[in-house]
Amino acid sequence: MYYYIFDQIRNSRARADFEKIKEIARNFSIPGEFAQISPARSAEELVESAVDKAATTLIVIGSDTLINKVVSALIRCKSPSPIALGIISTDPESILYDRWGFKTYEDALETIKFRKLERFTIGMIEPNFYFLSSARIECSKPTRMLVEIDHYKVEGVFDRVEISNNLYVLIERFLKEKSLIKSTLNWLSGKETFDSDQSIFKGKIIRISSTEAIPVYIGSEVVTKTPINIYRKINALNIITKRDRIST
Amino acid sequence: MKQANQVGTIVGSSVHLTGIIKDSSDINIFGGVEGEVHSDEKVVIEDSARVKGPITAREVIISGFVNGTITAKDRIELNSTGTIKGNIDTKDLLIHSGATFIGKCTMAEKTDSESTATEAEFGAEVETEEIEEEQPAEVEKDED
Repeated sequence: MYYYIFDQIRNSRARADFEKIKEIARNFSIPGEFAQISPARSAEELVESAVDKAATTLIVIGSDTLINKVVSALIRCKSPSPIALGIISTDPESILYDRWGFKTYEDALETIKFRKLERFTIGMIEPNFYFLSSARIECSKPTRMLVEIDHYKVEGVFDRVEISNNLYVLIERFLKEKSLIKSTLNWLSGKETFDSDQSIFKGKIIRISSTEAIPVYIGSEVVTKTPINIYRKINALNIITKRDRIST
Repeated sequence: MKQANQVGTIVGSSVHLTGIIKDSSDINIFGGVEGEVHSDEKVVIEDSARVKGPITAREVIISGFVNGTITAKDRIELNSTGTIKGNIDTKDLLIHSGATFIGKCTMAEKTDSESTATEAEFGAEVETEEIEEEQPAEVEKDED
């Protein structure tokens, strides 16, 4: 049985999309139960409902924030039988859109119907926040941080840290343009007036601490504050992928 | 962050790293590192980088400062802005004019049949001595 979870419907366009997907799913012979997030029904509750109803495939349609919430709830609920996850990312600016964005809903549901499964690694922030896209630490001002990765420590003043599901770590320090002329020209032409110094690491266990508590985001939601410990759960979820996808 | 499975490690200039860093792909260092650096591929020490500790890789390119032993399976290149304080061990070595190398260099013979190592010691500043290659023995001609 398929169980569809839609993001909260906020406008008439979203309502039309919801109805369209229902119709295409019926035409493709993959109907099921359709549910929407609302203030009264959280992603966790809907995932629990899907597990109770013995759904074999859970389809989530919406933003990275919703997809990560469903992933988190799905891992936490420890379903007695494995549930495959189908993803239709609706935010073209998001990380997950690269992999699970579709030109049309027909394309998306055809992929879901074909049901090519791959196992994906999921990032985990202690105690139990999971993410398929990335977790971010964004500071309002440069902040001294200590990032411990496996056997080494990285120290410095940073503006932003982003950790992907397979524990690649991107650390950024924004550098202002020193030349006033260049800075003014950039400002006039609408370009960014800063560059960034980037570091990239990868690890299996990451611990991040800072001189002051900084919020940690998954999608657009703050889930916790520093210090945090991050791990990866290898091959934690079966996710439906496009037929031309090979790498994980 | 877009998925980047083949990206190696990059130590930015605003970073100070301590400990043992290992990567199966390339490591690029712009900042400070205190500890061991191991790569199965290439390690690049950029102009702004300062490394204190041993480096092991297939190829090492140095434009910054290194205080430690360097072992490169294939090749070491020391650029004009680079400094090495420590011993190096490699098959192929290139030192550009203006570079500083204080240490001992060990180079394995390139021919497989000979396993002996050739050692060359350098002074405080780079003083490259031209190593005279063995010339083929002149054929003596009998004067008629």
